[in-house]
Amino acid sequence: MTGQGTEYGQVRRNRRDDGRYPQVPGLTVAQICKYILTLMIIAFIVLMMIFTGGSMKSFEEVAGVVEEKIDTDKLVKQDGQALKRYYGLNSADYENVMLYLSEFSISSEEVLMIKVKSEQQLQQVRDAVERRREQRIDAFSGYAPEQVQLLEDSRLIVRGKWLLFVVSSDADTYVSAFNRGL
Amino acid sequence: MLFSSITFLIVFLPLTIIVYYLVPSKLKNFVMLLASLIFYAWGEPIYVVLMILSILLNYFCGLDIGQKIENPLRAKRGLIFGVTVNILILGFFKYYGFLIETLNAVLPFDLSYRELALPIGISFYTFQAMSYLVDVYRGDVREQKNVLNFALYICMFPQLIAGPIVRYVDIEKQLKQRTLSAAKFGRGSMYFICGLAKKVILANTAGALYEEVAAMQMGSFSMLTAWVGCIAFAFQIYFDFSGYSDMAIGLGKMFGFELRQNFRYPYVSKSITEFWRRWHISLGTWFREYVYIPLGGNRCAASRNILNLLIVWLLTGLWHGAAWNFVVWGLYYGIILVLEKHVWGNLLERMPNVVRHLYSLVLILIGWVFFFSPNMGYAMDYIGVMFGPGANGFIDKQALFLIVTNWLLLLICAFSSTTYGQKAVRTITGAYKSRKARRIASCVFYVAVLLISLAFLVTDTYNPFLYFRF
Repeated sequence: MTGQGTEYGQVRRNRRDDGRYPQVPGLTVAQICKYILTLMIIAFIVLMMIFTGGSMKSFEEVAGVVEEKIDTDKLVKQDGQALKRYYGLNSADYENVMLYLSEFSISSEEVLMIKVKSEQQLQQVRDAVERRREQRIDAFSGYAPEQVQLLEDSRLIVRGKWLLFVVSSDADTYVSAFNRGL
Repeated sequence: MLFSSITFLIVFLPLTIIVYYLVPSKLKNFVMLLASLIFYAWGEPIYVVLMILSILLNYFCGLDIGQKIENPLRAKRGLIFGVTVNILILGFFKYYGFLIETLNAVLPFDLSYRELALPIGISFYTFQAMSYLVDVYRGDVREQKNVLNFALYICMFPQLIAGPIVRYVDIEKQLKQRTLSAAKFGRGSMYFICGLAKKVILANTAGALYEEVAAMQMGSFSMLTAWVGCIAFAFQIYFDFSGYSDMAIGLGKMFGFELRQNFRYPYVSKSITEFWRRWHISLGTWFREYVYIPLGGNRCAASRNILNLLIVWLLTGLWHGAAWNFVVWGLYYGIILVLEKHVWGNLLERMPNVVRHLYSLVLILIGWVFFFSPNMGYAMDYIGVMFGPGANGFIDKQALFLIVTNWLLLLICAFSSTTYGQKAVRTITGAYKSRKARRIASCVFYVAVLLISLAFLVTDTYNPFLYFRF
């Protein structure tokens, strides 16, 4: 960083520096386009924040909103060992984890919510969820087509560092609770 | 999509190469652009929209500056607009959360915010776009009127996600015309295979060793363990990033492009100044051309030069990440470079080479602690362990176990990070008198390296490049 490189502006084109330039009336097409594109980028960012932005709320706060919708007669809260057993993930690697699995082995319903520590972990969790989904489809295919359908209709939502995976006939309810909770 | 993923190696790359070589010359840029957008959208389906909007914005900003080039004041306004919007976009995605969290730490109440994922490669393509606007303003290049060519410059998939940062001035002519040949394709393949091997064989294995140390409870390990962990990270980040750069350069050659080298054996450096001439060269060049020299460079009073260096290194630190440890990492190098330039540079040059190497390596390793630490507290504790306070003795069973089980890895990494590694490859592939035999030896060697790399890949877990997060 200490060497002086090519001279700044050495090969710049000749310009008139007398301050008298022909003024182009109005805006050029390029100018109009760049302003429009700037507005489009702002709109894109706003939409991203509304629909895909994560949240700085506490995990317990968001989990509470989702848990309100969980039918605890059917789904049972699991510990970190279950996450390791079924998803191959270590709960200690993440900010926090909430996992509900069906009490009955003939049901594929489950709800997983994870807040990762860094965005780099998202792909790892996505892969684990995809593996779990495929394994469950394999397990149910042949004798429980309605469970296979639930798994195929499962929802995986990623918002910021938050990830929600739902296999349920009420998946939309969980997703909207999750979005509201954030 | 990762270069080191089976999807890329078995499906995307062969298909892209076949289509690229089959279509006529005038369609090659289009094919390359389409492939680049698919490559990016594979992992970032939403953020590809942001990248396209950014490309179009910079294209029109470039046209606008080019049209006003005869009127410096208006051209300058156009440049300021373009650069400001780019910095605001980058700043928003990269530093917005950091800013709010810093404010929350000092304010009596908490500001809540919705965090967004960082678009992959945004630091790299934004810097390329800004260099283009400045070059057009300076008159170093003419504005690109073909939007397809400009889009290809910004998002060419070999270097889109983790550099090297390509300056428009270096690639302008190649966007219009470039040569394709079997020899160039072969050279590109060799670069690519070397890079792949660096990443999947050396970087990932060294990374596993580093992770082992990083998982230990602070204070429970010895000084030697701390140094082993730090050395493992130094090898991981070097082979990871230089491996990616080699793959990018190799892919560029396979598609007819010539990209500049990004690394030149940085760990053989005999000073920190030399290290930064050998490490991430494209980023150093960018900051020199677009920040350091416009600030006055070294053609000014010593005090001003010191300020310029510190500004550049503060920005270099911030470029790497929105966290205080990156700020400290940048300033750490800024201060060392100031000291080498104004205080002990001459004395250092008179020292024996072995002392200069040791001096550089120790400072580089301490620098990596700031880089890999999740926060400043961890960094200071880790440095404490490396130098005694906080360590569980000088040496323990853990350190011996790590060294006994990893000595070969560390030796291969050390050897490969010097010019001896390349010399050894040349010796193996060039040991025969006949040209044909040398070619066969090269083919056998590189195919063997490719197969070993693939074997590592198949058994490996998900291992993204470290520089993806920047």
